[in-house]
Formats: sequence, C-alpha cells, structure tokens
Amino acid sequence: MNPTAVRRLAAYEQLSANPYRPWPARITSITELTDKETLFELRLIDDDVRDAFKFESGQFVEVSIFGVGEAPISISSAPSKQGFIELCVRNAGDVTGALHSRQCGDIVGLRGPFGRGFPFEEMKGNDVLLVAGGLGIAPLKSLINHIHDTRHEFGKVTILYGSRSPEEVLFARQFDMWRHRDDFDLHLTVDQPDETWDGDVGLVTNLFERVDVDPAKTFGAICGPPVMYKYVVAEMRAKGMEADRIYVSFERRMKCGFGKCGHCGVGHQYACIDGPVFNYWEAMNLQEAM
Amino acid sequence: MARVVVLGLASDFGCQVQMTNMEDHLLDVLGAIELEYWQLAASGHMPEDYDVAIVEGAVTTEEHVELLKRVRETASTVIAIGSCAVTGGIPALALSGDLEDRVGCVYGESGALVACGRILPMPVGAIIDVDYHVVGCPIDPAEFVEVLHRAIQGLRDAVPLEPMCATCKIAENTCFYDRGEVCLGLVTRAGCGTKCISLGRPCTGCRGIAADANFESAKAIVERMGADLDLLLERAQLYNNARKDLS
Amino acid sequence: MFFRVMDKDRLPDLVRGLAAEYEVIGPIAKGDEFVFAIVSDPTELRLDYDTTILPPKKHFMPPTESLMSFRVQDSEVVGEELDRTPRVLFGLHPCDINGLMLMDNVFLQGYEDPYYKARRESTLIVGLNCMPHEGCFCKAWGTDEVHWGFDIFLSDLGDRYFVSVRSVEGADLLDRCVETRQITPEDTAEFQRVASEFQASFEGQPDTSQVPLLLDAKYDDPIWEELGSRCLSCGACSMVCPTCYCFDVRDRLEPDGQEGTRERVWDSCLYIDFAEVAHGHNFRASRAARVKNRYYHKQWGYLSKFERVLCVGCGRCASACKADINPRIVIEALQAGGGSL
Repeated sequence: MNPTAVRRLAAYEQLSANPYRPWPARITSITELTDKETLFELRLIDDDVRDAFKFESGQFVEVSIFGVGEAPISISSAPSKQGFIELCVRNAGDVTGALHSRQCGDIVGLRGPFGRGFPFEEMKGNDVLLVAGGLGIAPLKSLINHIHDTRHEFGKVTILYGSRSPEEVLFARQFDMWRHRDDFDLHLTVDQPDETWDGDVGLVTNLFERVDVDPAKTFGAICGPPVMYKYVVAEMRAKGMEADRIYVSFERRMKCGFGKCGHCGVGHQYACIDGPVFNYWEAMNLQEAM
Repeated sequence: MARVVVLGLASDFGCQVQMTNMEDHLLDVLGAIELEYWQLAASGHMPEDYDVAIVEGAVTTEEHVELLKRVRETASTVIAIGSCAVTGGIPALALSGDLEDRVGCVYGESGALVACGRILPMPVGAIIDVDYHVVGCPIDPAEFVEVLHRAIQGLRDAVPLEPMCATCKIAENTCFYDRGEVCLGLVTRAGCGTKCISLGRPCTGCRGIAADANFESAKAIVERMGADLDLLLERAQLYNNARKDLS
Repeated sequence: MFFRVMDKDRLPDLVRGLAAEYEVIGPIAKGDEFVFAIVSDPTELRLDYDTTILPPKKHFMPPTESLMSFRVQDSEVVGEELDRTPRVLFGLHPCDINGLMLMDNVFLQGYEDPYYKARRESTLIVGLNCMPHEGCFCKAWGTDEVHWGFDIFLSDLGDRYFVSVRSVEGADLLDRCVETRQITPEDTAEFQRVASEFQASFEGQPDTSQVPLLLDAKYDDPIWEELGSRCLSCGACSMVCPTCYCFDVRDRLEPDGQEGTRERVWDSCLYIDFAEVAHGHNFRASRAARVKNRYYHKQWGYLSKFERVLCVGCGRCASACKADINPRIVIEALQAGGGSL
C-alpha cells in the first residue's frame, strides 16, 4: 500500500478503535432556521479522520460537548457533500442547548456515523414519496439532497411536509424555491396558518389525495413525531404500497449509538444499530414501535 | 463570571458548613464564580444585584417570604440547598399538631417569640420557583459543586428521579428488610451513595421522596416483610412532613 | 480439554501462587451474605458460598468507570486509560460464567467495547461447581453447566478437586502454582456422581418452552399492570443481574470546571427517564411498560440477536426485589395462561 492509504487505514482503525471517543470538529457555519432549530455545518478537523468518515442518508452522529454530554443528531446533508456535514438541531435539552450557544469556529466533538440509513441504492430507478412532520424533515433532508444530486437516477419524487405553523417550517427558503421546480413535487402544509401562508392547511395526511402513486415502483420514506407514523403508513398502504417498500425513521433516546447502552430499545431491536431506519414490515413486528 | 450570594433561612446552617468543608476544592470553586455574599462565612451585606442565589433553610417567617420574593426578582438562578430548603426538612415537623403548642413547648410561655411574623414552615419551592436542588441533610459538598457547575452552564436540574435501592446494591449492602427492619431507601431519592446504610443505619429519607417513588408498594412491602408500618410512616414524616400524601 | 486432580489441602498453594502474579478476586463473607472481593488471604475465601450480592460483571464493567478525561476549553481528550490489571476471578459458578459469555456477545461483537475487552483479556476465570440453592433456576435455561468461558474449573469431590483445564494460561498456572496429579477412573466416576447429584437436586424448575413467543403473544397481558403496580422503579434487579449491561454516560467536571471525566455508570431500564428523549416524550412512561420491557428484552430482544435468552437463572433479582417480582413467577404465570400472577 502507498503511504497515504496506510495512513488512512490507520485513521479508520483509530476511528473504530474506541467508538466512545469523539473527534474534534469545527463549526463552519450556523444558520438559524426557526426559533428553536438551527442548522450547523461541521467539519472534522483531522484530515484522515474526515476522509474515513463516510455516511449514508438516515444515519446519525453523536454530538459531544465535554462537560455537558452527548446527543444523537441525524445528518441533514447528503453524503455527496464532501468534507462537511450539516445537522439540523432543535434546542431541546442540555447538549443541544449548549450547541446553540456555540459560535462559528468553535470546536465540538463528533462520533459516528451510526445506524442503518435509507436503502438509497435500492431506491434508484424508482419513484420516491417522502413524508415529513416537523423536525422529521432533518434526516429526510439528507435523502432529498442526495436524490437531488443524482436526480436522473430516480423517477417521480414527491415530498409532503407538514409543520405546525409557517414559522416552524424548516428549510423554508429552499423549499419555497423548490415549489416551482418540476422535477420535485413538493407540498407543504401547516396546522395553524397565518395571513402570509399560501400553502396547504391541515394534516400532512390530507395531502395524499393529491398524490398519484404507482405502488410497484415507489419507495416511501417517513419521519416525524411518534403519533404521525401510523396515519401516514395507512395512507401509503391505501395507495397499494407494500410494507417493505415503506421506510420509517424512529427517534429514540440514544447514549452510545452502537448497540451497547440499551437506551434506544424499540420492541426487540435497538434503534441505533438495527435502525433508526426500518421498513414498515420490520416496524410492524416491533412491539411499541408504532 | 456568575455573581453568587449564599443566604440562610430557618436551619442550623449545617449545609453552609458543608460548603466550607470542601477545603482545598473550595478555592477551585471560588475561582469559577464571584462570591459576593456568604451569610455564614463572611461579613458584609447582601448586594443589590447578583446572578445566582444559593438558599439554605426552610421558610418560617413573613420576613423570609419577602426576602425570597426579592431574591427571585433579582437572581436569574435560584439554588435550594439542604432538606430544610428543599422539602421543609426538620422545621416542617412543626406542621404536625398545633404550632402555638409547639412554640410554647420549645420557648416556654414567656419566651414565645413573635418577631418577624411567624408562619407555618414550608420549603423554598412553596414560595418561589427553584431552578436547582441540592438535597440531603446535610448536603454533600461534591454534589453541591456538581449542581453549581450545572447552574453556571445553564443545564437542567438533575436530581435523581429514582429511589436508592440500586445504589445500595452497588455498595453491596445487606438489606434491612431481609432482617424485617424498616428502611426508607425504598422511596428516597438516590444520589447519596447510601452513606447511612453503609454505616449500618437505615435510611430516614433526608434527600426527600423520589419523584418516581411508589409509596403504596413500599407500604405493602413493609407489611409483607413483617416490618413496622407505623415506623415507616413516622420515618417518612421526619424530612417530608410538608407532603400530605405519605400516609 | 484435559483434566487433573488437586487435593483440597493444596488450595492455599494455588491461591497464593495466583496472588503472586494476579489480583485474586473471590467470594468472601459480608454479613450474612457473600461478595466478590480481593482475597488477601486464602482463608478468607468462602468456596461454600451460595451466591453473591453483585455478580462478577462489576470486574469487567464497574458501576462507575472513566471512559476518558477531557479539557473543556478546547474539547480535547486528555486521558483514556484501559484497565489491564492482571486478575483472576476465583470460584465462579456456572451461571455467572454463562452470564459473562452473554455479556461478551454484547461488548465484543459488532463495535468492540475497548474498556470491557481490556479487562476481559486481562482476567482469568477459575470456575467452581455448586449445588442449587432456593432461588436457582439455571437448569431451566440450560445455564447450569459450562463447557467453555473459563481457564480452569474446579469440581468439588469432597477431599479433592476434579480440575478441568480449558486454556493454555490455565494449564501453565496450574503447573507453576500447585501440585496436581493425573485423573484416575475412580476420579472420573466420582465426578460423574457429583454431577448427577447436582442435577437431581433441582426442584420445580419453571417450564421455559416458548417463552420468547409467549412474551410476544401475551404482550398486552394484565400481569404487566399488576407487576407495574408493585415495581418500585428502583433498578435493584438490574444492578444484581449478571447479564444486565445497560449504562448511562455522564460528564463530571472537576471543582474548577476546567477539566472533567466522561463516566459510564450502570443504568436500569426500570428508571422512569430511561427511554425519555430530550424534548420530553417518554417511550415507556408507565411502570408496567418498563417492567415488561425488561422481560421482553431479556427473553426476546437479546435472543433475536444472539439466539440465547439474557438470563442465567441465578435468582439474584428475585431476592433483590423487595416488591417480589420474580422471573420464575412471571414465567410460570405466562405459561399458566396469564391474566394474573
């Protein structure tokens, strides 16, 4: 092997030698999305560690702030974006609160990537129907961006995204532009509209009446609050989609991220290593999942 | 740096003494804050403005009530330390029976002081919102420092929610109930490292009842194990008399 | 495997020989009970122990251990130590050896846990046969015997031990520390007799057939509410369990707030906040859901990955639980059709 390859292999081994060890990453950009959610762009500082860090859409990282703790955050950027990752983070606890008080240029820790993501390769050549509720758009955003970067490999791509109110719509500016694209069929809906809102009103499930699905060649991807799954799955099933072509991403409490600490148990599985992305056939066989 | 004041209400100031017992660590802690006033350990007056108020003791007078309201208006963070401040502690024992009788019993007929507007004892949290709690009688200095750091960093309060049996197992203590004796550890907040039990004394609940305590089950256990249910209820009152649901 | 015989009066030689090279941990008395602790003198060893308060897992994953120390200001890891102290765990019963092997599946497969692995690699296991005590139901799970997972294993034949030797290190130790001799056909016959006597001593073992399936099929059985109403959410069962491995990770700052330690501490799925996420949703808010999850994970979740149930029938949880939640009774209630305990 050439010296670079040897060095990179060593970095990879280092990455996996102690999966508890966070690697320093610099905050390279901070974009406030809403009152509570902020998009952080991070760059692993060590060149070799950064090269060894490969992920797929739907996977997550553990963000580490020494003295405070760690929080699992799904990656919002596409794997095709090299050298940086984006995390859409809600200020909801100690770690995410501390992250929100950090500035551009500050250093935090990163571990991962962990978990099983969306079956991107399998999805190629098919239509994709993505349904997000609230912060559930965060992991789907990675998949959406990845599809965008390889758009010609997919059929029809439909995105249904529901939020509570217009102020809570994440990535609003980008989605606003996308509404006029013809290669993405995007529908936004809110529960509580204000006078500026010209999109749909109501639950995300209401949008299904406007969607045509060819069940044999469509994959579904769902992420949102716990109550949302069973209603969205029911809509997809009503369109004739098979259980194993519908993918759901679950949020659970995670401490280690790789199947040891036991916190993220969902039925007989662990969300961190068996998921967080499951297909619906798997999910319906998980007690307490839906 | 956070400007901190330490003040005491009705208590024996034992928790403030515990703060001095940090010894060499005290200087490290003092390096992380600006201590503006410490009722027990320094002379001087309460400043007008500060960020963090550390309050020891139970509320027993109108004056305490007024003081706490001012504290809450001024401080961005209030930390209650010790059983008296957190649960009402020993002062709240006066809630049982007639307060005037109790006062007479302690001070005699002539000495029944009425200064400061005496009221029924209660925990600090009954008067104002408390952001952080350091429980125990007295507090553990290391736990105090931990909570202080949480407060400085703006993290959430992190009093353990579970009772202390698990800690007892970790210490490999033998269980009082296996000898038919009452121990309040079944329902008391974890986090003390079972100091008393490891020394051979049953838990009397100085850390307060755990948020997720199952008191009904504890009573059933005491009866099934042939221990003294009245003693359990009496022990539950010692530090938790301000609660009315422990009967 | 090969076998030797060691006279019982040679035991102190063995322990002293081990102590010269290793930290020797064995069962010693604490009050009326027993604990695994450092053995400073062979006479302290209580090989007649029934069970210990805590299982041997504490020597592989301590209740609190440092994962790393850090500096707050620049987020740097400043220390990361693995415990490679040479240790011998002396006198482990088959249930506890089986328990360690179940822990191995979790910590040594997939992502290896370097902290657990370092201790595991540095520790020799000396097994010891036992007789069932009141709470044992190891036979129901087939964890009453071990065939690997130890370096040497002592079977008590009255005046001598029948020594099964599993590892090179175990064989070397035996050679270095103590005088042993070849086994004779009489030794083997006595070994068989003791093993049969052991098997015959079990009483009323629960029927564990189809337990994983039953847990799924009776997921909404009322017994979980009944158990939930008793549960103290204290986590004592998890602490004393030789196979409960759940943990929490916490950062502890030094008094000056500049440096700190990231610690791993034992956790319990019975604690109310075990499955609560940061913005407040609790996936197992009720005690009944948490008690059920403990059983469900042990008899089905773990099995779905490793084809074994995560219980060795040691009976520790049943005696630790003051609320009388006993896996034997739970299993028997499910086998009897559920509905109530």
